[in-house]
Amino acid sequence: MTVTPQGGGGLAAGGGRGTGNLYDVLDLVLDRGLVIDVFARVSLVGIEILKVDARVVVASVDTYLRFAEACNRLDLESGRKAPAQLTDIVQDTTEGVAKGKGKGALAGAVEAITDSLHKGEDEEDTVSERRGRSRQEEPEPRSHRSSRSRGD
Amino acid sequence: MPVYVYAITSDSHPLRLEELHGVGDPPVALHTIGGDSLRAVVSEVPEDLAMSRRDLEAHHAVQQSLGADGSILPLSFGYVAADEEAVRGVLRERAEEFSKTLETLSGRVEFNVKAVENEDGLLRAVLSRSEQARRLNEATRAGGGSYEDRLALGELLAQEVQATEEALAAEIVEALRPLVHSQQLSPPSQRYFLNASFLVEEDRAEEFVRAADELAERYGETAEVRVRGPLPPYSFA
Repeated sequence: MTVTPQGGGGLAAGGGRGTGNLYDVLDLVLDRGLVIDVFARVSLVGIEILKVDARVVVASVDTYLRFAEACNRLDLESGRKAPAQLTDIVQDTTEGVAKGKGKGALAGAVEAITDSLHKGEDEEDTVSERRGRSRQEEPEPRSHRSSRSRGD
Repeated sequence: MPVYVYAITSDSHPLRLEELHGVGDPPVALHTIGGDSLRAVVSEVPEDLAMSRRDLEAHHAVQQSLGADGSILPLSFGYVAADEEAVRGVLRERAEEFSKTLETLSGRVEFNVKAVENEDGLLRAVLSRSEQARRLNEATRAGGGSYEDRLALGELLAQEVQATEEALAAEIVEALRPLVHSQQLSPPSQRYFLNASFLVEEDRAEEFVRAADELAERYGETAEVRVRGPLPPYSFA
């Protein structure tokens, strides 16, 4: 895990700046913050792309096959220690996550931008280059809210 | 002349702008526009202002520094007012609302917590608790089993992985809730299955980070939990 500017609890001036920091807060810089409607927002191209829906869990044959393949490839011996904690988590309620579903329609676009930021290029990486990013597939079936029953 | 607007503060903010740099290259200088009790931190608008790394970083850095000195309302990136008078107008018209929010935000900072899945860890966890998944996995390893077996395994895994992530996200939010003033959750996205912002009292920030750290450690097998902050209160402005 990574914690940026610590420095004793205050909002340490300028700490943790730079792309390393920006990368994970880009959605906040773009999608949050005060919006003043009577002002114009620059880069309308960018804004448009920001409307891409964030919800991206894909339920498709391709996804299933990819999951199965990833699972087949797992080195089971090396991973024996993981699960004990997980069981506890899964027993817990999943409510709470469902809140706040309304906001953040921009996340998809933010991801597009973070991709470009992450490449480590300078200045040229504007959002407009990412315009062609395709929309996401069908909505996922939210059928397993009850997966606490552990499905086996 | 149009002005780029970074943030709104009360007039009691120290507003140490000398060492800050605005957007553009070379970076433009910052100045303030005053209302009755509020100020806007602005600059001129560089010709090539764009949603680029350069300008995003400058915008964020200005807000980060101003936020370190006092309560601010950070504007979302990229807002340009027609002229200084337009800014004054907004400061006048929304003075009450802005002052109220500034007061709420006073002494508080934002932390953002994102979680990225560790697919291998998640799959292992699913295998360890699902006999059916283990059976299907065994059957389909090394090219064995039918297409339907592989599909069934994949579907089961996909569901279980998502359920696990939802549970994990809820667990993290619940664990942090007692330490925060308020919270703002974004829907899960392709990259982050948890994306939550918390408004935290400055004097509880260390405690918050410690708690988040422990969560990251505890769930490290299945997810990478990233804690960012203290940040300007983007999600609560």
